[in-house]
Amino acid sequence: MQTTAADPAILTRRVREMVDSGRILAARPLLGALKTLAVPGAELAEIEAQLLLREGRVAEALVVLDIAVAAAPEAVGLRLCRADARMRADDTAGAAGDAAEAVILDRTNPQAKAVLGVALIDLGQPLDALACLREAVAADPRHPAYRQALATAQERSGDPDAAAATLAAAIRLAPGLVALRTTAIMVAIRRRDFTGAAELAETARRDGVADACVFGLLGHSLSSLARHVEAAEAYAEALKLAPEDPYVRHLVSSAGVLPQGVRAPSEYLETVFDGYAARFESHLIGLGYRVPGLIRAALLAELGLTPDSPPDSQPVGPVLDLGCGTGLMGVVLSDLPLRPLVGVDLSDGMLAEARAKGLYDSLLKQDLETLLAETDQAWPVILAADVFCYFGALDAVLAQVHDRLADGGLCLFTVEECQDDDGWRLGRQGRYSHARAYVAAAVARAGLELATLRPEVLRWEADAPVSGLLVVAQRAMERGGDAG
Amino acid sequence: MPVEAALARLRAGAPEAALAALAALPDDHAPPARHAAIGMALLALGRVEEALAALRIAVALGETRPATMLNLALAEDRAGDAARGRALMQELKRLLPTWDEPCLRLAESLRRAGDASAAIAEYEHTLEVNPRRAEALLSLAALLMQRHEPARAQMLLLRCCAVTPAHAPTWDALGVALMLTGDAADAESAFDQAQRLAPADGTIALHRVEASMAAGTGEAELARLEQAAAADPLNAALLAARGTLLMHLGRRAEAVAVLEAATALAPDSPLATQALAHAMVAAARVGDAIPVLRRAVELAPDDAALRNNLAATLLRGQQHGEAREVLEGLLATHGDSLGVLCNLTNALVSLGLQDEGLATANRAVALAPGAPLAWRAMCNVLAYHPGVTGAGLLAAQRRIGDSLPRVPPPAREAARPRAADRRLRVGLLSATLKTHPVGWLTIAGFENLDPARFELVCLGQPPSEDAIQRRFRAAAAEWHVVDGEPTEALVPRLRALDLDILIDLGGYGDRGMMAACASRVAPMQVKWVGAQSHSSGLAEMDWFITDRWETPPGFEGLYTERLLRLPDGYVCYSPPAYAPDVGTLPALANGHVTFGCFNNLAKITPAVLAGWAAILARIPGARLVLKAHQFADAATRTRLLAAFPGIDPARIELRAGSPHRALLAQYNEIDIVLDPFPYSGGLTTCEALWMGVPTITMPGETFASRHSASHLSNLGLPDWVAADLGAYQDMAVRRAADLPALAALRAGLRARMKVSPLCDAPRFGRHLGEALRHAWRAQCAAAAAA
Repeated sequence: MQTTAADPAILTRRVREMVDSGRILAARPLLGALKTLAVPGAELAEIEAQLLLREGRVAEALVVLDIAVAAAPEAVGLRLCRADARMRADDTAGAAGDAAEAVILDRTNPQAKAVLGVALIDLGQPLDALACLREAVAADPRHPAYRQALATAQERSGDPDAAAATLAAAIRLAPGLVALRTTAIMVAIRRRDFTGAAELAETARRDGVADACVFGLLGHSLSSLARHVEAAEAYAEALKLAPEDPYVRHLVSSAGVLPQGVRAPSEYLETVFDGYAARFESHLIGLGYRVPGLIRAALLAELGLTPDSPPDSQPVGPVLDLGCGTGLMGVVLSDLPLRPLVGVDLSDGMLAEARAKGLYDSLLKQDLETLLAETDQAWPVILAADVFCYFGALDAVLAQVHDRLADGGLCLFTVEECQDDDGWRLGRQGRYSHARAYVAAAVARAGLELATLRPEVLRWEADAPVSGLLVVAQRAMERGGDAG
Repeated sequence: MPVEAALARLRAGAPEAALAALAALPDDHAPPARHAAIGMALLALGRVEEALAALRIAVALGETRPATMLNLALAEDRAGDAARGRALMQELKRLLPTWDEPCLRLAESLRRAGDASAAIAEYEHTLEVNPRRAEALLSLAALLMQRHEPARAQMLLLRCCAVTPAHAPTWDALGVALMLTGDAADAESAFDQAQRLAPADGTIALHRVEASMAAGTGEAELARLEQAAAADPLNAALLAARGTLLMHLGRRAEAVAVLEAATALAPDSPLATQALAHAMVAAARVGDAIPVLRRAVELAPDDAALRNNLAATLLRGQQHGEAREVLEGLLATHGDSLGVLCNLTNALVSLGLQDEGLATANRAVALAPGAPLAWRAMCNVLAYHPGVTGAGLLAAQRRIGDSLPRVPPPAREAARPRAADRRLRVGLLSATLKTHPVGWLTIAGFENLDPARFELVCLGQPPSEDAIQRRFRAAAAEWHVVDGEPTEALVPRLRALDLDILIDLGGYGDRGMMAACASRVAPMQVKWVGAQSHSSGLAEMDWFITDRWETPPGFEGLYTERLLRLPDGYVCYSPPAYAPDVGTLPALANGHVTFGCFNNLAKITPAVLAGWAAILARIPGARLVLKAHQFADAATRTRLLAAFPGIDPARIELRAGSPHRALLAQYNEIDIVLDPFPYSGGLTTCEALWMGVPTITMPGETFASRHSASHLSNLGLPDWVAADLGAYQDMAVRRAADLPALAALRAGLRARMKVSPLCDAPRFGRHLGEALRHAWRAQCAAAAAA
């Protein structure tokens, strides 16, 4: 079979087209041919690195890029490619460095400014990012991704109005991009402007660019506006578009369309919180979130500790924080002699936030029921702050807690309270609530003693209190002579 | 001697140089020998006619050396008097019985002339004279393979390999011969040797792929090809082979990618281009495949099968006009062939040319009266043809059913009793469990079958991200890929799934698998949506899902199946979330009524057009918008406009296809849909209704003629169903005159439809479950009584 396309220029162009359009399986075998035919240099290295990045081989791409950048430090394309690779490798500072270098090398390059802006957002410098992204948008106003990044920077720097306006302009520019729609809806939801969010979602539906996520957010917004029938319809549409998604299925069942499950699926929790981690704390604290404080106070009372106990007093521990999230319990317990502190959560995003606080001795990514089933440790303290709202029936998990508590060990948890039911029910936002009598009975069935069960306001939503229960349960001390 | 020196150059493989040297000699230099040498050089250069002239002169001048005489014989054979050429060879053979050359040349001449037996005898004679003559060994082996004597061919080729161990074609031929006797592993070794000798030969690489698949070593071959390609990155043959192998292994997306790489490296390779086109077709990338197939035809213009493939792909790509041209061209150059006639029938049907389609289908049936393919083409025409009757279509459908081959049941098969109330394993057989009329009209029903009572087993196309396919996957307990495999392989596989009920959702359509149903793969077999134009005509199809509007009482005799009538409609429409909102009645702003029909052009026959033209003639100012993929073709547009004599062409608008949402949006420009007949709108009618536009319909006897009547009746709009053409036309005129009523109906139609049985999925799912259970109980009772 004759090779007649031996013209390296033609082949280079074809391979670049293939890489740019994501046809990596076609590009890969041609890269070898290209390396045989074409002169090695910045262009070839960039193509190879981009192919490696598309293939998810970030470390190998970085090796190629480091060599190529050293050989051609002024090649803007290589710098931008390495910035991309470094972002993927979580080296945000390195990425910012490359992007800054690219901006210096080519002051008119909007892509360089945009990449720098995105890196600066990740570095927590939204105001600097804002400047870069404004310039990028001015230089290339037709690029919706630049506008989307600008909106993020605006929101992070405390100007959600500007973010919403930027996104509206971006949507006019690229009405078919669903990512812009979801970003705009999320901005509205974070501002608790559910009417605006629902309108944005409805517009997306009318424009034919609504995916499962848009319908899910529409359902969320409508449900927050107490328009429950419409919310259920929106969730049903979401399920048609994402029929295999357990999160969406859970939303549909919480809206009463499907039979109820016993607990929210792990994938649901992971999805919800991964998407939510960055703003989880400010959102919750902004809502008047009281759970960590309540648990802290109860723990102090039960253990007879005071905040000014001497720091060298014998610590109690280990302490297991189930569903630790971003580590809010770690924050409120950090001044108490409770060590070591072990957190467990399903969401990488949440765990990353918790890790950044540096307050946990160990953080595990695991389903909490799996962890309880597998741990050999006897724990003197197990905490479940705002976690059992993702469980319907509590019997199984409380039985596991019982088995893993040390003799005399304490379990402190909160649940949202439902008034009109003897058991538990799945609420419209995908959270379970529990009846007081049910909780007391479940604690007893698990073999635990109920030390405290009292109503508390857990947080405020839309200026209304969300009432719940604070529970302290204790495993009885083993009596001597029982062991056999 | 300058002539001798030139001949030495010739023998050394430099005919150009020899010829130049001879031409430089003076005219009077040894004329006979010089002319003879010139003739030989010209022959070696392929300039046969000039060679013949030179050699004739040489012989006329008295040159009689055997080499000259043989060259003259060859030149006569190829460019002059072939009989004289062969006679000369015979003469030389007689005069010089130990010289193998004349026998070999004679054998080759006979082989070229198509006289295989005589050629074989001469090759055998050549080998008696010289048992190591490689050309004779190789050519004789090739002839023996053609005559289905691969074992003898193998012996000759083994000898030939010993004589010319460095000759790749010999090893390749040995591999081919070994494949013919099923010795795939040995064949693989032979191809391996051939490929070492000719690494850039695409044919050898592909042969090796076939051998590895037959030997069950496909994965190992894949790994080897990857390594070989890494070591030889410019070798397009290796990529073409790897792509072909990936195709065989069912990894189509990768196959397409690798073959794209192969054609990027070797854009002029017919092999790689054809392989890429086939992979794209298999991967359902019809739009991408068409230009590649066009290129493949350019590279191999004499390949009729390839042209037929191009036409079939054009049909799938809705380019019926061009498909028709290609197919008619093929018939003109290559004569009638069943595949081409059937494809042409389908092209004509799709263009709405049902009379021409019927004539072509009749040619196909005359050519191959027992072929299911011919009868499928016939039924495809009849369903759309204005002259169709229920009994006529049933008779033709029975011919398909009767002509399908049956795979015998396994010997141990004894119909074991199954409980009437068990949880039923229901197989859904179709390559269209996706965004397709089958998907839109059935998925909501399947989603709402009680999972405690029914277990769904999808038997469909390979997994993809298609939105409706994902819904099928989520609803099903199992997904088995059935995709283009031969019926003999498919039937045992389906039988092994131990289904209780099989629902066929593909019919005899493109990629349909009714042939498997003919061999009964489940104790109860049911026909539902999917090329469900009428009865399947298949004795093994037990039930037919329908309703009382599709098949009113009295229609039973038009079906081979038992009718399983659902209480509401026979389908449940699942409207897309992206459908635009319903607009206001366009006539209010326009000042005239706009009729529309967005149905496939196959349904728009001349009879339908005449019926519509009469309506337009009665309502001055009214307009008609037709929309079909085929209107992208200018000739088709011209033909359609000519069907409205006396009507201002400005009143007719022909629109080509568009993406689905844009198509739906265009209903906001239509006031009333006119249904075609006898093939009514199915999904199209549902979509129009969802967009607020009612349809005027005229049902006939066949199942396909009654879809709209069923949908309208389920919406409480039976007064949009006309009994005959006159009533249909009167209804159009009357409805068009009452805009307030139209506007009011339109404004409430979507809300009305949402809660109607046509869209009430839970209700439909319940009814479907009850109907399947009823049929299953009847089946169990019958089995128990037997």
